[in-house]
Amino acid sequence: MNRARVILVAIGVLLLAWGVFVLFDSVRPARIPGLALWLGAAIVLHDVVVAPIIFAGGILIRRAGHRLTGTTVLVVQGAIVVGSLISLIAVPLIIAQAYAPNNPTVLPFDYGARLGAFWVFVAVTASAVSAVLYARTRRANERPSSRQS
Amino acid sequence: MRRFLYEAQRALASPVRNPRMATVIGRLLGAAFLVCFGTGLYSHMLQEPAAWMRFATRPEFLYQVTQGTHIVAGIACFPLLLAKLYIVFPDLFAYPPVRSFVHVLERASIALFVGASLLQITMGLLNTNQWYPWPFPFRQVHFALGWVLVGLLAIHIGVKLPIIARHWRAHEDEQEADHLVDAVPPERSRNAEAVRLWGERGPGGLTGRLLAYIDETPPRRENRVSRRGFLATVAVGAAAVVGLTAGQTFTPLDPVNLFGPRKKGLGPQGVPVNRTSAQAKVADAALAAGWVLTLASRGTERTFTRAELEAMPQTEVNLPIACVEGWSQMATWRGVRMMDLANAVGADAETSFHITSLEQRGSFRQTTMGREYVQDPLTLVALELNGQTLDLEHGYPARIIAPGRPGVLQTKWLSRIEAIDA
Repeated sequence: MNRARVILVAIGVLLLAWGVFVLFDSVRPARIPGLALWLGAAIVLHDVVVAPIIFAGGILIRRAGHRLTGTTVLVVQGAIVVGSLISLIAVPLIIAQAYAPNNPTVLPFDYGARLGAFWVFVAVTASAVSAVLYARTRRANERPSSRQS
Repeated sequence: MRRFLYEAQRALASPVRNPRMATVIGRLLGAAFLVCFGTGLYSHMLQEPAAWMRFATRPEFLYQVTQGTHIVAGIACFPLLLAKLYIVFPDLFAYPPVRSFVHVLERASIALFVGASLLQITMGLLNTNQWYPWPFPFRQVHFALGWVLVGLLAIHIGVKLPIIARHWRAHEDEQEADHLVDAVPPERSRNAEAVRLWGERGPGGLTGRLLAYIDETPPRRENRVSRRGFLATVAVGAAAVVGLTAGQTFTPLDPVNLFGPRKKGLGPQGVPVNRTSAQAKVADAALAAGWVLTLASRGTERTFTRAELEAMPQTEVNLPIACVEGWSQMATWRGVRMMDLANAVGADAETSFHITSLEQRGSFRQTTMGREYVQDPLTLVALELNGQTLDLEHGYPARIIAPGRPGVLQTKWLSRIEAIDA
């Protein structure tokens, strides 16, 4: 195990060094600070903005849903996550349309309308699944237990 | 500081945030990274080949598949990377922040790994949208970061190997919370550590109220349900981002291509366009009455008008145009075989060619075609597309179409084809 670890780390350091060499070999030094800024911004954006929002969102959802079954809360959380992931793909498309070159075959759709429709679809699906789960739980609770009666 | 780190870890504790889950998501993410790296490297070599490199020309859809896979795997990295970061997020608040010099290096490598991964997939995504908001060149940085990331991946696997090995398979005893960080108590109630840190009464003021608020939040449901729910969410999320975009290259998904930057069949003559004649500023030269294609080899130079090219034996081929940006489109092309033109200027089978466009600027104004493509019977100087005269946007008067090459090498608006002297 330890030998494998040393080999992996050694290979990794070589590949990393090669990548850094390729970077400085192909990109003008004046552009490097901009790249460093974007790398740092990516970390900050995740650790200081995205992750705390997810944390706070999770707490708020669990508080709001304290009367619901755990599965329903999970369905709602899952729906928000999937909608957010698609938004992550779709919002750049919408912004890019403002910058896009005059080429009607690039970014041809009305992505804003499609994103709205997708959120509606996600909300309807999550509600339907929650309703089915709720009905199933209730029937199970109302049914007299065969063992106890 | 210590209190802050401790409370952050305690508040963030979750049955989902454990080493088994990090291993499960991590190996999928690692596989996606390697697929992206391999297909990316292949694409890079095709575009910037060393003189000795030879490439496979069959199957003719090879590049369509490798580059389509590159983009699909890259998009799948969004849910996988975010899930991975979610799982390991409490590690950010590890106490003590640094234990030794090696630990400093490890944390620095993780920071670079996270930043470079996020930047790499974001750059790739925005490139497919032809949107470049950053102050550095895309191609060079994306390529260099690819090497940086495989290196950091190897280091990361090396560092975490004991944990990965321990959690590669699920264990029965893992049903109980098994947190990433030993300091985090599995139960949410205050324990001896908290009492020692805060005193009996606990923290006061805003901090205390905030922590109490978090503590009062109903706990997550049973661990196993939480974990399954998490994995199901990641799976549905990955299926959604891939399924709703991959239709731009994968025909069966075309009907649900809701968020792809391209649409199959949409464009002049049913084929999308990457670089328009207006962007390339070629319309005047391409539509000029005196246009000729010049072929040159070892001092022999011949020119062909479009009528002369049309008078030569014509071949019809079905070949996809496949772009680095991940879209592809099957089409029927008709024109003169490249090898017939090479023979017409007396070039032998060992000759590679420089191919030059009418474009005055642009990084792919001149490209190199290796002999394996020149000699392939499917490689054409195309004059027609899908049964019509080639549209100006598709390279009129004549363009290259060859099997298994990226779209940027399928040179449009041809001007000159010149043998490279060996």
